[in-house]
Amino acid sequence: MGFREPHARHVLATHPAMDWFEITSENHLAGAGLPRAQLDALRADYRVVPHGVSLSIGGADPLDAVYLQQMRALIRRIDAPWVSDHLCWTGVAGIDVHDLLPVPYTRQMLSHVIERVRSVQGELGIPFALENVSSYLEFRESEMLEWEFLTELADRADCGLLLDVNNVFVSAYNHGFDARAYIDAIPPDRVVQIHLAGHTQKGRYLLDTHSDHVRSEVWDLYRRALRRLGPVSTLIEWDANIPTWDVLAAEADQARSIRDEIRFGIEEPAWTGAT
Amino acid sequence: MDGRDLDERERSLLDLQSWVVDAVQHPFPLTADSELAGRIDRVIGASARGMGPAERLDVYREQFWLRHLSNLRDHFPTVAWALGPDPFEKLSAEYLREFPPRTWDLHQLGADLPAHTASHAPWRDDVLACDAARLDWAFMESHVAPDASPFDPRLLSCARDDAWPSARIGLHPSVRALTLAYPLHEVRRALKEGRAAQRPSPQRTRLVVWRDARCSPRDVAIDPLAFALLTELANGAALGEACQRAAGAEGNETNAAAMGERVSACFQEWTAIGWVSAVTFAV
Repeated sequence: MGFREPHARHVLATHPAMDWFEITSENHLAGAGLPRAQLDALRADYRVVPHGVSLSIGGADPLDAVYLQQMRALIRRIDAPWVSDHLCWTGVAGIDVHDLLPVPYTRQMLSHVIERVRSVQGELGIPFALENVSSYLEFRESEMLEWEFLTELADRADCGLLLDVNNVFVSAYNHGFDARAYIDAIPPDRVVQIHLAGHTQKGRYLLDTHSDHVRSEVWDLYRRALRRLGPVSTLIEWDANIPTWDVLAAEADQARSIRDEIRFGIEEPAWTGAT
Repeated sequence: MDGRDLDERERSLLDLQSWVVDAVQHPFPLTADSELAGRIDRVIGASARGMGPAERLDVYREQFWLRHLSNLRDHFPTVAWALGPDPFEKLSAEYLREFPPRTWDLHQLGADLPAHTASHAPWRDDVLACDAARLDWAFMESHVAPDASPFDPRLLSCARDDAWPSARIGLHPSVRALTLAYPLHEVRRALKEGRAAQRPSPQRTRLVVWRDARCSPRDVAIDPLAFALLTELANGAALGEACQRAAGAEGNETNAAAMGERVSACFQEWTAIGWVSAVTFAV
């Protein structure tokens, strides 16, 4: 589950049975005030994994040394098992648009990102994973498919992947590729974590809003991913129109039950024909 | 851009990303901009679902404005209340064009909004809005300020009386003192609690905003003497000097004995509520 402000008091007071929590790194980098107090309390009871949105690994600007320094301090403070961010860029020339902009999938960009991932890994000193983003445009200069880019990146930079199944679905819809082909191409040994979330239909495209239940098509894709990847740590993201804790917990339970179906081979058969 | 020697690869990436960032900050839909259309078509492909390249890039432009306008609305609730929805959006959009976001830290997005409001027509003539901007920003600064351990008054048991005039009182980093022409802190509190807020009558208000021991935002109006003393201490004056200046400030005329009692009472109260984080004696 993502640790979000509306549920912080509930979580810290009732200690619900959750395997671990993910925090948005940027909310805790300053290391002071309410976020600091809440994180210290959370860390006393749970494993906590930081997930960033501002690294801009595909950006043209140099990596932000101060940001990395603060990230390293956060990682040490919570003894994080791994840290993740996104395969994207967030701004350039000092301007940060606070969005996860897609990169052109070119050989040049691949070299650029590999170089920067190695540098980040050296700075942070713990396993580092990159997440596939939802995207709404494609650059004409792209020479590779997104999953080919990610696969080669993970292999050559020796980093992990955070597979966001909803993002695969959203991008597949927006760009017209087969989401199943994407899932089937992801190297299982690289995936350290899975994200699930809800999205919103906006006319001719899907927007990754994290504002609703995980859609049934995304659950189906999640089943497919787990069959291929095994029981990977999974997180439900819900960041807008945040519902009650019970609704969120039920969503996490559904992910757990799907994981158990796959793990223990009790899933319903895909065929229905009588013998 | 940053003084580096760029190779061809870096230059082409920088060029592409600078162009996208400019487009994303465009104030109007990209589909309506015929000058940009040519380059957008060359760089971005059409979607399988019939969206043209400009429409696809426009998704990011729309999100840029929604995200940052919403952020400013959240961080400046009193300004949004004072101006009303449309003027506030106009102010915010104008501000974002002049001060595009320059850090990953969204808490800092509105750092220049109080100064912008106070220096640009028509906002600069609206005292209520200018006050509101300073108040909302004081709460934000207080929220993100570093932590400091509370001061333990037992540490003063050995302090000599004659050491106090040269002592420096360190305030908690979250303490902010500001004067307002309106008691807008009551409006902000009502808004935060989901209550209807009434437009207040003008009333000079000396306000302190801080983060309490449970990290909750707090505010309190204090009297002119206490306010003058606090601001002197916040500016680094030694206690004796701060007392002299505070006593000499307009409207604070008081005799030495009364001043001593007030300072002592202020110190005890401020220590109890967490405004004092350190006392340093000259050696």
